[in-house]
Amino acid sequence: MISGILLFVLAAGFPYYIFLEKNKRIGSKTIFLVSGFLLLCAIVLSFFIANEHPTSLVVISFLSALYTIYKATKTTNFYKLGYYFIFINAPFFMLFEDKGAFYSLSLLVSLVGIYFIGRFYEKNYGSANYLAVRGVTLATPYLSIYITVYLLCIALYPPFPNSLFFLNYLFSSESFGLWSIVVITLFAGNFFLAMRVMEKSLFGKPNTHIHYVDLTFKEKLLHLSVVIVLLGLSIYGLKELLL
Amino acid sequence: MSTIMQKLDSVKGTVPHYWPIGAFIHHNPLKGFEHLHFKDGVDKAQSIFGGNVYMQPSYYLNLYKEGKINPDLLESNLRDILKSDGLEEHYDLAKKCLIEVNPKWNSLRSTADLNEHEIDEDLLSYLDEKFFYHNKEKWIEKLTKHMTLYEINDILFDRDDKEMIEKDIIEYITRFLDEEQTTITMPNRELGMFETFKLYENFDYAKNSETFVEEALQKLKVKNVEQYLLAHILKLHGWAGFIKYRSEDPDYFSQQEYPSSLMDYMAIRLYFELAYLQHRQINNFELLDTFMQKNSASVILKILQAKGDLPGKYIDAMQEHQNYEQILESYVQDELKLDAKQVHLSSAQLNNKEIALTELAKIMETLRSEEGYIWLKSLEDSYIHAFIDEMKLSEAPKEQRPLASAAFCLDVRSELMRRSLESRGNYVTYGAGGFLGFPIAFVEFDKAHEQFLCPAVVKPGNIIFELPKEAHEEYSSKKIMNKTTKKVLSDLKNNPYTPYIMVEAIGWIFGINLFGKTFSPRKTNRFLSGFKAQKPKTTYTLDKLSEQEIEMYVNKMHKYVIVEALKNSASQEYAAEEIQAIRDHLVFEKDLSLDIPRELLEKLRTKYKITRKDYEYQKNKLKMVGFTLEEKVEYLYSFLMMVGQVDNFAEFVILCGHQSISDNNPFESALDCGACGGSSSLPNNRALCMIANSKDVREAIAQKGIVIPDDVKFMPALHVTSTDEIKFYDTDILTSEELQKFKKVMADFEEASKIARQERITQLPYTNTQEDIMVKSMDWSEPRPEWGLAGNMGVFAGPRSSIKHMTFKNRLFMHSYDAKLDNENADILTKIFNGPLVVGEWINLEHYFSTVDNTVYGAGSKVYHNIVAKVGVFNGNYGDLKIGLPTQSVMLEGKAYHEPVRLLTYMEAPLEAVGKAVENSVAKEFILNEWIRPVIIDKKAKKVYSYESGDFKVIKEF
Repeated sequence: MISGILLFVLAAGFPYYIFLEKNKRIGSKTIFLVSGFLLLCAIVLSFFIANEHPTSLVVISFLSALYTIYKATKTTNFYKLGYYFIFINAPFFMLFEDKGAFYSLSLLVSLVGIYFIGRFYEKNYGSANYLAVRGVTLATPYLSIYITVYLLCIALYPPFPNSLFFLNYLFSSESFGLWSIVVITLFAGNFFLAMRVMEKSLFGKPNTHIHYVDLTFKEKLLHLSVVIVLLGLSIYGLKELLL
Repeated sequence: MSTIMQKLDSVKGTVPHYWPIGAFIHHNPLKGFEHLHFKDGVDKAQSIFGGNVYMQPSYYLNLYKEGKINPDLLESNLRDILKSDGLEEHYDLAKKCLIEVNPKWNSLRSTADLNEHEIDEDLLSYLDEKFFYHNKEKWIEKLTKHMTLYEINDILFDRDDKEMIEKDIIEYITRFLDEEQTTITMPNRELGMFETFKLYENFDYAKNSETFVEEALQKLKVKNVEQYLLAHILKLHGWAGFIKYRSEDPDYFSQQEYPSSLMDYMAIRLYFELAYLQHRQINNFELLDTFMQKNSASVILKILQAKGDLPGKYIDAMQEHQNYEQILESYVQDELKLDAKQVHLSSAQLNNKEIALTELAKIMETLRSEEGYIWLKSLEDSYIHAFIDEMKLSEAPKEQRPLASAAFCLDVRSELMRRSLESRGNYVTYGAGGFLGFPIAFVEFDKAHEQFLCPAVVKPGNIIFELPKEAHEEYSSKKIMNKTTKKVLSDLKNNPYTPYIMVEAIGWIFGINLFGKTFSPRKTNRFLSGFKAQKPKTTYTLDKLSEQEIEMYVNKMHKYVIVEALKNSASQEYAAEEIQAIRDHLVFEKDLSLDIPRELLEKLRTKYKITRKDYEYQKNKLKMVGFTLEEKVEYLYSFLMMVGQVDNFAEFVILCGHQSISDNNPFESALDCGACGGSSSLPNNRALCMIANSKDVREAIAQKGIVIPDDVKFMPALHVTSTDEIKFYDTDILTSEELQKFKKVMADFEEASKIARQERITQLPYTNTQEDIMVKSMDWSEPRPEWGLAGNMGVFAGPRSSIKHMTFKNRLFMHSYDAKLDNENADILTKIFNGPLVVGEWINLEHYFSTVDNTVYGAGSKVYHNIVAKVGVFNGNYGDLKIGLPTQSVMLEGKAYHEPVRLLTYMEAPLEAVGKAVENSVAKEFILNEWIRPVIIDKKAKKVYSYESGDFKVIKEF
């Protein structure tokens, strides 16, 4: 029970809602980094302690995820979206039990990519907010490719690793009432939020008020390495799924 | 005080006419601004439509680096602008700015390291004074200038009414304006657009659209009515342009049947606006003003955000519900700093140590507002100077009698063909507007409607019918078979149940077409053409009908309609005499002794229009059929005088029309003859040949001084521009001896076609062989069957000999003109101005604006187009009617293929004659306001003039 609570606290965004959100001096970038680190801790811990959660914790984290989905629809900042996605997916981490760690790991890798995208926006456009920087596909094609990959991962599109671990869990577990509600709701939540970001950032006519900048060689390499990790996880996920 | 109608009339000129896509008319999208000088007109248009009106500075800079823009001419134009602004002393700095800084101007506005730069205080206060960031009222007014109330509401309260309102409007107008695209058409359309709308919406309102608009504007408490009507027009300006065109063309068939007006359209728009806003917190401008005064900071920020002007940093702050006043203040300070930073960085790049930053800011401001025009004019001037340096300025010697002469359309695509033909030997070519100054209403064989084959600004006074001159049973039987098959397929497709069975049973048949057209377009085309009904040999009705013939035809037509109507409605059969009696009763109100139901008679009167009025209308129409001898002679004489072909006639005088052939291309007619209203110009050429070959015409024209020898034959031909093939018509009028000689001419034309295609291989993308060019015309996946008129840059009116040695790569319209044949009033030149020049300007500016901003003035990518109502295309399921040209017509791989310049109009004529022609021409406004670039080559005065800034400036003496 204690280990369950510990993992729940680390993964489900409670530190954020209890402490970090209240503090105006802590920016969204910091929260993203802290939340990401806590999730990583949870993932690592879950390899050593039993990842079994009472239903009550799953329900609480699910309610917290629903609230986070609502909050995520009110922001257009990559950093905020990044940690919102962590909290939205927390019920999966608990519900999927031993398979939850790999699902969360691949989510975390996708979010690392989103973090680099946010940093890129911050450097070139003054903020990680993407609302004014629309039409990225036409203006900066390399950047758009990586945003697309990360968001497709989060939206649970096969054959990206998130979807493979997700499917693996679906095939290997038995459904029950709460299970169905959580899985369907959060699947839709991930999908629609990711699509919303794609629609607002990737598509449309580029904004003439903005001087668009594409990824530098170093940045391309950085993102390529994230994609390679995702690819590795995909191969592992596929193997798990097929075996 | 002006009425609503007058107010609407005062703003509707902002949007141009949109002609239906089936007869695509190239036009200047900024026609409503031609009363202003080009520079002022495009600036004003930009403030209304947004978008670009010049290419980006980097585009011109590349041309400059490639050597296309002459540095001396750039210097001269830059000096002129600086002089007019009192900044001449800063020429060197300004030039450096233009070339080195301005193309990168936007990249200097990075927010990334904004606070790392020290900002000059004087510069900051200068910028602060200059802009109105601190005057919120003025700022809001500017931001909301062309916005409707529902748009502002959406932004302020995060709603989506606009989407719903525009969708509802588009859904109604597309169904009302449908021209037989839908299978189930909207009922009651004959009542008119607004009256039908009332039924459609179940809207109980007794008054007309104008009254409704007035009442709606009062409800909305609109202060500036003209501006608000314009704001509504601009929301869907493609549709507004089409409705405007329909309502102003009394000959437009659909408009006659289903009347519409811009006022009706306004009423519909305002109806939906009121309907959606009625339950909103703010539903009139008075409430909005009060709200905006109280919440000015948040209003400005939200509108800036919606327009994409607000950087992410402030959007974050707004999303975190911080104080709006503080956010706005911070935004203003940062904007000023950014403005200042741009000047600082520019100064550093220019190594400027001479002048103060405030002074530099002023120079840069002037340059930024003028640079587009400076570059454009310099590019045009460079072409003009290169042209007059290369053209022959001496008189050409008289030529020997050519084997054949060929008159082509002045269209740019004829240039290569003419050059290729001339290279084959003793051939002389001429150019004229494709309609040959011979406007006709043409009713094609087996078609019911007439086409106006002349420029859109001209209305033809004569009708020509195309009639078969041989038996055509095979045509008829194939036609019936095809029609029946089409009908059966259409019925099967539109039935709710049959499509499922149909797909299973005969779906595979469509696979032949699908795979055939995809993998082997040429063979499939040949195979399918075997099923098509081939038109028999035809002739034209060129003679006037007698009064008796007219009476007979009207009578016959009425009787035919009555018989058809009675077949469907009457329970008994009527004898021929009885039909005649019914007709006479309906038309001449003669007594009718027959026992026929009153309702049936009423139906014949109202639905089938068998009335006195129709009788008069049909009679007048039939009076327009054919030509009197005087008309025939006059048209032929005018044409020959216009192109300067008055003696030394070749044995074969070929008049060559043109047309483009492509598959799956809604814009096909944009590739046809612009001077023939976006149709093939073959009928005009054929008809004039028939006229020129008639004996009585030759005798009459000889009395006017043009003697055409008896051995001369006028032969019609058709230039297929997508394949550069030439097809000849009416060769059966030749004797066997003449035919032998003509075969040599045809062979030379075939060779010329090959030469032309070979040259076009280098211009068309993804084309390696002549076969590729042929395939493009029948490939249904080909978005660019030919380049069409892309690349057009100028027009030359003068003798061919002056420019025969020059190559223009299909970029020059060429109109033959011999000033020596013109009279004192320059009537011939005036005619050229009134027809071909107007068409040329429309084509040129359509290409210009579609290239500089394809989103605003063009049609976007063909990939997303769907045909709507058979009048145009829009993107996806609903949207504005796309005006202008698709990207594939003017761009190649994201870069401009068409080089946007104003029409460089070279006229080889005395200055005085040009002055008179301009004065008498309908083109006067756009010529004097420099929407084209007039250049006069006066060989008599040995001077070349360019019309600039309201004056003729000598640019060369020889």
